[in-house]
Amino acid sequence: MRDYLPFIVTGLATGSVYALAAMGIVVTYTTSGVFNFAHGTVGMVAAYAFYELREQHGLPTWLSILLAVFVLGPAIGLVIDRVLLRRIQGATTATYITVSLGLLVFLQGGALAIYGPATRTIDPIFSQSTFRFLDVTIGYDEVTLMAIAAVGGLALFAFFRRTHAGLQTRAVVDDPELTSLMGTSPGRVTTLSWMLGCTFASLAGVLLAPLLGVDSVGLTLLAIQAFGAATVGRLVSLPGAYLGALAIGVGADLSKKFVVDHPTLSGFPTSFPFLVLFAVLLFSKPGRFAELTKVSQQARQRAKVVASTRFAARPLVALAAAALVLPAFTSDPRMLDITVALAFVLIFSSLSLLMGLSRQVSLCHAVFVVFGATNLSRLQDAGVPFLPALLIGALIMVPVAALLALPAIRLSGLFLAIATFGFGVLAQNLLFLTDLSFGNEGLRSVSRPDFIVDFSDDRAFYYVVLAIVLAGVCVVELIRVTRLGRILRALADSPTGVQSLGVVPTAARVLVFCVSGFLAAIAGGLVASVPGSVTPATFDYFQSLLWVTILATTGALTLGGAVLAAVLLRLVPVVFTSPTVIEYQPVLFGLAAIVLSQAPNGIATMFKVPDAEALGRSTRAKLPRSRRHAERAVVG
Amino acid sequence: MTAALMVDGLRAGYGATTVLHGVDLVVPAGAAVALLGANGAGKTTLLKTIAGTIPAQSGSIALFGDDITHRPADARARAGVCLLPEGRGIFRNLTVRENLAMQNRGRDVEAAAEQIVARFPRLGSRMQQTAGTLSGGEQQMLSLARALSTDPAVVLADELSVGLAPVVVDDILAAVSGMRAEGRSILIVEQYVSRVLDLVDYVYLLHKGRIVFVGEPQQCDDGKVFDQYLGATA
Repeated sequence: MRDYLPFIVTGLATGSVYALAAMGIVVTYTTSGVFNFAHGTVGMVAAYAFYELREQHGLPTWLSILLAVFVLGPAIGLVIDRVLLRRIQGATTATYITVSLGLLVFLQGGALAIYGPATRTIDPIFSQSTFRFLDVTIGYDEVTLMAIAAVGGLALFAFFRRTHAGLQTRAVVDDPELTSLMGTSPGRVTTLSWMLGCTFASLAGVLLAPLLGVDSVGLTLLAIQAFGAATVGRLVSLPGAYLGALAIGVGADLSKKFVVDHPTLSGFPTSFPFLVLFAVLLFSKPGRFAELTKVSQQARQRAKVVASTRFAARPLVALAAAALVLPAFTSDPRMLDITVALAFVLIFSSLSLLMGLSRQVSLCHAVFVVFGATNLSRLQDAGVPFLPALLIGALIMVPVAALLALPAIRLSGLFLAIATFGFGVLAQNLLFLTDLSFGNEGLRSVSRPDFIVDFSDDRAFYYVVLAIVLAGVCVVELIRVTRLGRILRALADSPTGVQSLGVVPTAARVLVFCVSGFLAAIAGGLVASVPGSVTPATFDYFQSLLWVTILATTGALTLGGAVLAAVLLRLVPVVFTSPTVIEYQPVLFGLAAIVLSQAPNGIATMFKVPDAEALGRSTRAKLPRSRRHAERAVVG
Repeated sequence: MTAALMVDGLRAGYGATTVLHGVDLVVPAGAAVALLGANGAGKTTLLKTIAGTIPAQSGSIALFGDDITHRPADARARAGVCLLPEGRGIFRNLTVRENLAMQNRGRDVEAAAEQIVARFPRLGSRMQQTAGTLSGGEQQMLSLARALSTDPAVVLADELSVGLAPVVVDDILAAVSGMRAEGRSILIVEQYVSRVLDLVDYVYLLHKGRIVFVGEPQQCDDGKVFDQYLGATA
């Protein structure tokens, strides 16, 4: 037991910081119904602000904390609520997910562009001296962290139970419309809760900064620790979130002791929160997790603009024709870029199958891409030729996709997004470094096919990729016009309606996830075989999030959106080679996703407007006819 | 004399669908008005639009001569409009006392509580209980009591008797006539048509989003009006 005590103490200390962030997310989620994926990123922004104020501008620690946590934190909350969310009030869950992801990508991309990837170290905030208790060396800073979290938790409790503002907040959680009927503006209450929630996120970010150092990635992971803890409290319980955070902190630190002997499991402690998150979502009783998003009737109507129902023959031919003539105008060094872009068309197309057709947001698409590449590499090592290896490597991912789809069957869209978000980070931390994927080397080489012609020639290989991508895109477009496509469109509209027709939605939801994962894995193999190698850094979890924001920007409903997404992501940096353009690309995509979140089909909407009003009119215009028909049927 | 509530050419609905197609309605100060109509006629939509939880597409709503058409629901509530929504107008997860405290801060809560116990003795022993665990009748009483504690000028009552035992309905309707006796103006939607006719001064009949009949309760006695618009006589 004595061996474990030190780990328990450090675990409680870090768990306390997670608890602050987790309680923050519970406050905002329950009050506004909006789950903020950028919650950890808010903490990151506060940590950078703290770094700037204290380390760069020499402000005293207390003043830096005051400004970074208690001024900047509420200010961020105010902006999120008043600028980002008020505008789209009553929107669908998918819209809110897009906006908060857009914010995450915007802030994280911005931090990366301004500060670069290097981790900034920060001097400790609290005393580093220690004392002995029960034969364990305990730092005063650890005790301070625990005390701060405990005080924060009690303060929140007192706020909700003892103050009028707290009562009003609970009233809004209960019934916002009734709150307004009783003379309290739910909008003000919601704003207050965002300010409160973001202050807690900022506090957690600043407290973690000396422990982890400040960088754009590490602190964003704070989000996932917080999500894991909040999930334990079903996203609605403050004590649940608090205890969940402590348990996660202790569990993660205890597991550090075990993995010392198992180097391949070195990612386990960091992955522990996601395992908790995933397990809770997977094994909790159905109905334990309910979405709190308050969707207005208008938004529901607008969301009914469904994914394209036609086989996109003309866009496909246009894509093929453009892709066929493109090499004629392309210099040799550029061939590699357009080949990669082509493979990305398939990545985005497979993603649009989920986002556009079945309205499921997957935040771990990069995992499929990576495994497609590493599976291909490992099979090639085993002597399997390119094409079979590509196929088998992608087929291996089908059961993984099916497993991932489990939360999709049991839970609604928001929780699928959270689960996939967790899985994306889990895979990166735990699986990428094992022999299942990259292994210890961190780099896998992939060779191109060598049948009939020598495909080491970039132009020749381009046509191989083109053929495979077109075949893959055809599969996606075919699904749109098949029964599966119709069921998915109907499911996106009304799952209950589909079930009442006797169709079991499970199979369709799992199948579409499998197809999407399979195609992404194929695309991953193609992307890797262009330069001939792949590294874990190329496709970290941030890419998954970035792709979702891009596709939301360009439009997930049609093939055009997927093509445009690939062009914007891969070809724009080829044409505009300035480093500024490349660095600020994510920032722009994040911003675009926020701005266009409510356009039914992103940028594509601007060219061809699927007008919800017109849709409403046309249904109404049809109504009398069908009614006449019905009356005739009754009379006849 | 200005009317307590004056609705003029009101159009409202949900998204692209319009439910109310130009409704004119007046509730004179201190009067009780019944709003009748078949299912889907737009009664609830009208009350919600007056209370402000559904935006008006066009037309105007005036409270004692003040145009409130573009004010948010919470401002209208503070100005004296009180909607008792269909179902129960209570916060299910808050205690009875907390429900009362929503509008009455500090010492007023005690005063409000006493007033309510005087009117509905059954609620007296339930102050610390979570409102969602009350019986249907008690919930409706709480909803009414809560409304009365704020001294509203205009009460919009939406189907108060739904799902309640007949004995409780008596209590509830008695409370409504009590409100009227206190000089409040009332617009009431009610399924028990014959009973509500005894309570009110005027009757409006809403049909497919339009007012098709305005009159006094006696004019409805022969039932012809209802035959035409409500199907069977209520």
